[in-house]
Formats: sequence, structure tokens, C-alpha cells
Amino acid sequence: MPATQQSMQDDQEKLLDEAVQAVKVQSFQMKRCLDKNKLMDALKHASNTLGELRTSMLSPKSYYELYMAISDELHYLEIYLTDEFAKGRKVADLYELVQYAGNIIPRLYLLITVGVVYVKSFSQSRRDILKDLVEMCRGVQHPLRGLFLRNYLLQCTRNVLPDDGEVTEEGTTGDINDSVDFVLLNFAEMNKLWVRMQHQGHSRDREKREKERQELRILVGTNLVRLSQLEGVNVDKYTQVVLPGILDQAVNCRDSLAQEYLMECIIQVFPDEFHLQTLNSFLRACAELHQNVNVKNIIIALIDRLALFAHREDGPGIPADIKLFDVFSQQVASVIQSRQEMPSEDVVSLQVSLINLAMKCYPDRIDYVDKVLETTLEIFNKMNLEHMATSSAVSKELMRLLKIPVDIYNNILTVLQLQHFHPLFEYFDYESRKIMSSYMLGNTLDNNTVIKAQEQVDAVLKLVSTLIQDQPDQPSEDPDPEDFAEEQNLVGRFIHMLHSEDPDQQYMILNTARKHFGAGGNQRIRFTLPPLVFAAYQLAFRYKESSSVDEKWEKKCQKIFSFAHQTISALIKAELAELPLRLFLQGALAAGEIGFENHETVAYEFMSQAFSLYEDEISDSKAQLSAITLIIGTFERSKCFSEENHEPLRTQCALAASKLLKKADQCRAVGTCAQLFWSGRSSDKNGEEIQDEKRVMECLKKALKIANQCMDSSLQVQLFIEILNRYIYFHEKQNEAVTVQVLNQLIQKVQDDLPNLEACEEAELIKKHFHNTLEHLRVRKESSEADGAAYDGLLL
Amino acid sequence: MSPPFLGSLFGPVCEIDVVLNDADSRKTAELKMEDGKVEKHFLFYDGESVAGKVSLPMMMMMKLPLPRHSELFGDKSNTHEFVNLVKELALPGELTQNRSYDFEFMQVEKPYESYVGANVRLRYFLKVTIVRRLSDLVREYDLVVHQLATYPDVNNSIKMEVGIEDCLHIEFEYNKSKYHLKDVIVGKIYFLLVRIKIQHMELQLIKKEITGIGPSTTTETETVAKYEIMDGAPVKGESIPIRLFLAGYDLTATMRDVNKKFSVRYFLNLVLVDEEDRRYFKQQEIVLWRKAPEKLRKRNFHQRYESPESRPVVSAEQPEM
Repeated sequence: MPATQQSMQDDQEKLLDEAVQAVKVQSFQMKRCLDKNKLMDALKHASNTLGELRTSMLSPKSYYELYMAISDELHYLEIYLTDEFAKGRKVADLYELVQYAGNIIPRLYLLITVGVVYVKSFSQSRRDILKDLVEMCRGVQHPLRGLFLRNYLLQCTRNVLPDDGEVTEEGTTGDINDSVDFVLLNFAEMNKLWVRMQHQGHSRDREKREKERQELRILVGTNLVRLSQLEGVNVDKYTQVVLPGILDQAVNCRDSLAQEYLMECIIQVFPDEFHLQTLNSFLRACAELHQNVNVKNIIIALIDRLALFAHREDGPGIPADIKLFDVFSQQVASVIQSRQEMPSEDVVSLQVSLINLAMKCYPDRIDYVDKVLETTLEIFNKMNLEHMATSSAVSKELMRLLKIPVDIYNNILTVLQLQHFHPLFEYFDYESRKIMSSYMLGNTLDNNTVIKAQEQVDAVLKLVSTLIQDQPDQPSEDPDPEDFAEEQNLVGRFIHMLHSEDPDQQYMILNTARKHFGAGGNQRIRFTLPPLVFAAYQLAFRYKESSSVDEKWEKKCQKIFSFAHQTISALIKAELAELPLRLFLQGALAAGEIGFENHETVAYEFMSQAFSLYEDEISDSKAQLSAITLIIGTFERSKCFSEENHEPLRTQCALAASKLLKKADQCRAVGTCAQLFWSGRSSDKNGEEIQDEKRVMECLKKALKIANQCMDSSLQVQLFIEILNRYIYFHEKQNEAVTVQVLNQLIQKVQDDLPNLEACEEAELIKKHFHNTLEHLRVRKESSEADGAAYDGLLL
Repeated sequence: MSPPFLGSLFGPVCEIDVVLNDADSRKTAELKMEDGKVEKHFLFYDGESVAGKVSLPMMMMMKLPLPRHSELFGDKSNTHEFVNLVKELALPGELTQNRSYDFEFMQVEKPYESYVGANVRLRYFLKVTIVRRLSDLVREYDLVVHQLATYPDVNNSIKMEVGIEDCLHIEFEYNKSKYHLKDVIVGKIYFLLVRIKIQHMELQLIKKEITGIGPSTTTETETVAKYEIMDGAPVKGESIPIRLFLAGYDLTATMRDVNKKFSVRYFLNLVLVDEEDRRYFKQQEIVLWRKAPEKLRKRNFHQRYESPESRPVVSAEQPEM
């Protein structure tokens, strides 16, 4: 095949070359004769030149080149004749003379050339000649030759067409109506020829022919351009004559390629103001087009243009009397009605452009947008569609459709006002629902859209339920953990957007959210419940702030804490431990801080829950250490416990610390416990620190003892240094039991052990730590007067 | 401008000169001869007088006839004189000096046009005969006669639907059935049904010269004009315009049974050629007539245009359509 194509191309080049050569020779002769004023001979050569255009051998592309070459030569003749006529050297009957040419192609080209000269020279003949030319061209019925002949007619007459506002000599004939008739007739004939090309030759060449036709379409379209350039074609003329004429042709030619091109051409060449006045007729015509025509693209092109027009700042906007949306809405419906074969994605595409129109032209009319969604929904219902696969075209289009309100409003609450959004959303399959849900939540976060009412929360969470709860249609295999985490983190962030200024409303919001998230399954709740618990604590703080105006605030706080308790318990049921432990500790702190009635009980309960989680659920030693450290830290900060509750808790802490598995862990935890006996506070002593010197020393000594049992010498030294630091802390806090001797002993011990350490990076770090510690002491000692602690006798 | 003289025939010995009285004002007309050369002669109309002067160097007796005859070229002997008007200009005698003689044929009836065709020629000429003892001296002087006609009273358009069943149906229309020689044929072809792949369509103007009567009839056919009116294949519903100017072609008026010797008739032949070069055609007779020049229009001619029947004639040689 390529070889054949190549040889065909070579043939074309050869043929074209020969023809162009002949044209050169003949047109040279023509010019010579013109120079000698031998007009008749010149015409004969012109006719010979034009004879080359009679060929059937050239492809459209080659024919075009030949045509261009010849039309240049004819232009020379035209200028010569125009000059001669202007000089008064008129050749009688020239218009008749050229008609003796026996072959029609040269005859008509010459007739057009001479005709235009006549029109320029005798303006009273204009109307008749234009009419005659366009009629006589009917003689060429061969599509390619006819198209070019009529194109020549159109090109030659472009400056002589009668138009409104032109300056004319007296006696000039012809007005805008003649021009419109002229171009419309030429257009109709050209279109017929163009369409006819499709039906010539073998059916196996169909593709090639379509390609050739595409190459030639501009010739047909130029007629429309010419019409649009006429001043006299105003809105009225366009509405009454021009558009009906074009549409009549377009619809009746029944050729999809032509229809598609012509309709788009109309949209592109005529001004928006015209389109606005002719929406109905244009769109009605769309409904009548061939089934193969991509009507969708046509309508979308028009809508997009008008939407742009409505949006233009310097433009007049859409006139009030034109119900743009209603018209489009109705006509699009009837187009869809008339085309049962239309793929559903195209139906949706149309709705996309409708929604764009509504958004751009009527930004306030949410009902318009909803109307589009409703129509789409009805169509889907009629089609009996199941969940549509994400990969399907219709699903992609639907996503485009639904994203538009999200993107334009940038407010999920406005989207919620669209009654038909959610039902339509349900047509997505699992994957698409998930993507779309994430998209909406992302949009909410990006725009900081605060969701203020319980009903809204309910609606949003129902809408994005794919992210929140298991779905009947979800795939059986587990999702990618990273993706899942990302998605759920998004949901978690979103929870912070649920916020009402009114605490009672906020409480309802949290309850509603809890219901939705609670059903999310073990995998999801670890992401979604903690933010809820934090939101609950925040709400409790807000109640405290409003204690002066809300008598029932304490009761409400209690409810919130039981809400939190229950929520955290849900996490425990999901076999989580560290997370609920932390949430309990946070709750205990919050309860203590807020200090509502019963708060101690609540705090105690939360602490004890944390303890039991620690004891029952946390087995990993590292996790244990960090959990107990956290518990101790939390407890140390709590001020709400009476001695009755404080005592067992701190004992429990110390006990737990000493029960840790690894010696190093024990050592550190016990050391930390020492803090409890110093800065822990119970409500009995008005919140003052316990400062139990003896117990502190016991703890530290115990830590030291445990460190002594440590086998790893570098770890041991490290622990000693840590304990030394604790001693120093308490010494500075003026714990009398921590004497300089104690410090000296410990420093001595470390100094003894340090040289025995193997030289390694770790040892360096340890030495550095020790050095810094000593440096600290030195500084303190030198400025000892300032803080009351005695450093006398400290050996450094 | 004076028409050339056949002086050389006579040599310097006997110079016969014929000069028309109105030679300065009389128009001339061209006549294309059978060999293709164009001769130019003074133009006369029916009923006009022919008057002039014959100059002779020396003469004994002279006869001046005004013969009109048709010649059949194929048979030179077959010459028919229609009219022979004779004037004796001088009595026999010896011509001793140059002399000229006036002559006049009053209101000569000239019922036919001058015509030069393939097989027939119709001429008017002045013939000066000098009767001598041994051989007569003869000098012929050609005139051209045009037969003028007025606008026909009846001039219907020609309209007809023809075709081949289930294959091709067309309707054609010529705006008139009678055209003057400078006329323009305007018409239209409607395609009612097209199932063949037409390549082009042309209109031919055919001239038929029929000589002889009865079984010895000879018909000479000549295609005067061949005019492409359509390029490419039309579809049903197309209408193709026709416009053919006649002035540019070498045409004579239609002549019927001129002196029962010959006829000249014209036909329009519409030819469609398909992609396999098959030809489909339909002939239709039209009548051509000579219209009086503008300034003669006002005169009253006693000759009226005879209107022949304008019914369609389908000839036997074209069965296709």
C-alpha cells in the first residue's frame, strides 16, 4: 500500500507540474497579447489556460494549487480590463463574447472575470450580472470543479456585493437583499456539490473521500463568512432570511459531515447577539440533524460561546427578555428526546454545558443548576442504569458534571441545597463515589467551609458515606494502606470543619457525627473518632466559658465526658490500646481543668481506664515505658484529685514503674516517679505541691539501685548520669534530702566508670552529657547566692 | 468599398466595367464560398431595383440579363434559372470608342436568399454578354440578396419531457421555436430522474441541407456549433441553464423547398454523454430567420414570414431518447 500511495503521489506531482507548465505558457501568451492590446487573442489564451481546470485527474489538493496558479493569472486579466474600461476603452459585447467558449469551465471563469469588471465599470448592471453569474454556475455539476468555480465567484465578487452603508454612483443597482440571495444561493449550491462528493466513487474509498471533503470544507464555509461580513446583515435580516436559509440547507442535506461543520461554522462566524435572538430555531435544527452528527459538540460550542459572552466584562450581557437557560434546557431536552441513539455520556456532556451556562450566566440561580441535575437524574432513571464503572465514559462525564457545582460554589453547603445532587451521586460506583467524596471534602477544607448545623452535618456525611462506612459494593480486598490513611486523614481533618457557635448545636453535631463515624469499622475509627473526642473536650471548655450564662453547663459537661468515654471505649473495642489510653489521659486532664461538678470522679475514672488499658492491653516494653511516662506526666499535671484518690494513683504509678521488664526502663520510670512525690498536687492541700522529700529520695535511691544492677556498662553510666541530673534538679528545688555529698558520691562514681568505657560514638555522647552536667553545676555554684541552694563542698 | 472585378478574365483588350448607381451608399454582405473563402458583394433585398452603368471599351452587341439560378455543385450542368430578365443595351454595330450604357431593372422580384452550401448554391448576378462573331464575351457580376422577415406571429417555446424508462428523465425547454440570426437561445434542462452517470452535456446546432426531391434526396449534415452546457453529473432536481448566442456562428435562415430544389434546416441537438461514453440525444428543429437591420425595420415588406409547423420532429436515427 505505501508503495502505491507513493506512486500515486508522484503521479499527482507530475500531473500538477504539467498543468502548471501549460498554465505558465498560455498565461504568458495572454499577457503578451494584452500588452499589445490584442484582447481577443488574449482571451483565447486565457481560455486555454482555464482549460487546464477541466481535468479530472488531480486530487483536491493538487487541484487547489492549480486553481491558485490560474486565479492569479486571471487577476491580471481582470486588472487589465478594469483599467481599459476606466480609460473609456470599452469593448462592446465582451460579456457576450466570452460566452462563445465551447467548454463550460473556461467559459464560466471568463464570464465571472468579465462580469466583475462590468459590475465595477457599469454599476447599473450590478444586480443583473450578479444574478446571472450565480445562476450560470449551475452548469458545473462536477463537485470538485463546481466548488472551485463557485469559490472563484465568491472571491471575485467580495468587493462588489451590494451592502448597506456603501457609497455608490447614481444608478447603481442591487441592495443588501440581492447580496444575501446571491451568497445564499451560492452557498446552497456549493453545499450540495460538497455533499455529493461523498456519494461518488467506490465505497471502499469512503475514508479518503471524507478526508478530502474535510480539506474542502473551508470553501463552503467562506460563504457564511461572507454573509457575516455584510453590514446589512443585521439581527433582523439574520433571523428572517440568512439563518433560515442556511439551516434549511444544513438540515436537508442529510449529511452528517456537512451538518456538523455548518452548525459549528454558524456558531463561529456570526456574532453572539445574533445567536441570542435565534436560539430556538438553531437548536430546533440541531434536533433534526442526522443521527451520526455529534450534536453534543455543536450545542456545547454554542453554550460555551454564550456563557463567555455573558461573562464578558465589556459586553452588554444577556438581555433580560431572553430566557437563555429555559430555552437551552427545553431544546436540549428535545434534542435528547429526538436522538435515542445518543450515548449516555453525550447526554451528560450536554448537561455539563447546560450547568456551565447556568453557573456563568445566572450565578444566583441554584434552582437552575438543580433543574439540570434533575433532568439528568430523570434520564438516568429512564435508562435503568446500575452503578456506572469509573472507567466508563458516562461516569467520567457525570463526575465532570457534579464537580462543577462543587468547584464553582466552593461551598459544600450550597451544593447540599441541590436536591438532586445526592441521588445522582449514587449512580457512581464505589471507586467514583470515593474519589468524588474526597474531592468534596478537600474542597471544604480548602475553602474553610464551616458546617454549622446538625442537619447539614448529617447530609454531608450521608453524601460522603463511602469514606465513612463500609459499602455493599466495595471491593473485597483491602485498600492500599497508604491511600487509605491519606483518605481517612482527610476525613479526620474534615471533622474540625463541623463547628457551630452555639454549644448545644455543636453537641448535636458531635452526636450526629459520632453516629456516622461510629459505624465506620475498626479501620476507620482510629482516624475519625479521636478528632471527635478532641472536639468534645473543646466543647466542654466552651461550656465552662459560658458558665455564667448557662446554668446547666456542669450537667452538659458531664454528658460530654460520658460521650467521650463512650467514644473512646469504641476504640478499645476495636482492639486499640495506646490511642484510647492517650485520649483518656487527655480527658482526665480536661476534666480536671474544667472543674465541673463531679469532675474528680470523671477524671479518676479516665485515669483508671488508662491504667487498666496499660495493664491489660499494652505488652510491648517500649510502648509500656512511653505509656507509663505519659500516665505519670499526666498525673503530675492533675490538680483535681483529693488525697483519697491521689494516693492510690501515685502508688500505682510507682508500682507500675518498678514492674517494668527491663532494668533500664525500670530505672527511668522510677526516676520519673520521683517527680510525682515532689510536684504532684492533691486538692486537699489547696493545690500545693506535695514535696515529700523522703519519698523522692526513696525513688531516686531505688533508681540508683536498679542502675547498679544493669549489666551493660555504658548504659549503666548513662543511667547514672540521668539520675545525677534528677538529683541536681531536686537539689536546686531545695529538697533537703539531696545533699552535696550525695551529688559528690554520684559524680565520683561516674568519673570512675567513664574511663572504662570503650571508645565509641556512644561513649562520646555520654561523656558530653556528663561534661555538660558538670558545666551546669559549675555555673550554678558560681552564682549560688542567687537561688538559695547550697553548693559548698561540691567537688567538680 | 467596391467589390473586386473579374477584369483579368477579359484582359486589357476588352475591359467591361459595371458600376451600380448607388455603389457609394449601398451596403455589402459577405458570402462564404464552398472553398471557405469569403466574398463580399453588394447587398439587395427583394423588390429593390438594380440600376447601373456598363462601360465597354468597344462593343458590337450587348445583352444584360439578371439571372437567378441555383447550381447543384455535384452536377454543374444541373443549373436552374429562376428568373432571367434581359435588357438589350446596344444594337449590333461596331464599337469604335469607349462607351457606357445605363441599365435599370425595376423592382426586381428576389424571392430567395443568396446561399452557398455544400451541394447547392443560389446566386444572383448581372451578366454582361458581348455577342461577337467567334465567341461571346461574358462578364458576371455577383450580388447578394437577403430575405428579410418580420417577427413571427407565433413563436412558442419548445418544451418537452423525454427520457429512457427508469434511467433518465429530463425536461428541456427552449424559450422560442424561431430565432433570428443574431438571437440568443435561452433554455433550461430539468433533471427529473438520473440513474446514469453523466459526464457532460452539450448542445449542438446542426444544419441540414437537403437537395433533390423524392428518392434522389441528398442530405448534408453539418454541426455548426458544439457547446458544452454542463460538466459533471447532476442529481434529480437540478436545473441547468442554457444560453447560446447565435451571432457568432455562420448561419443562414431556414429555407424550405427553394424552387422545389433544396431546403436548409436547423436543429438543436441536446447530447448527454455518460461515463462510458454512451451518448443520449434529442434533436429538435428550430427555425432561423433573418431580421431586418434596425433602419430597415420601419419599411413595409410585402414578404411575410411563413411560419412552418412547430411540432416536434423525432427522427428515426435517434432511438435512445
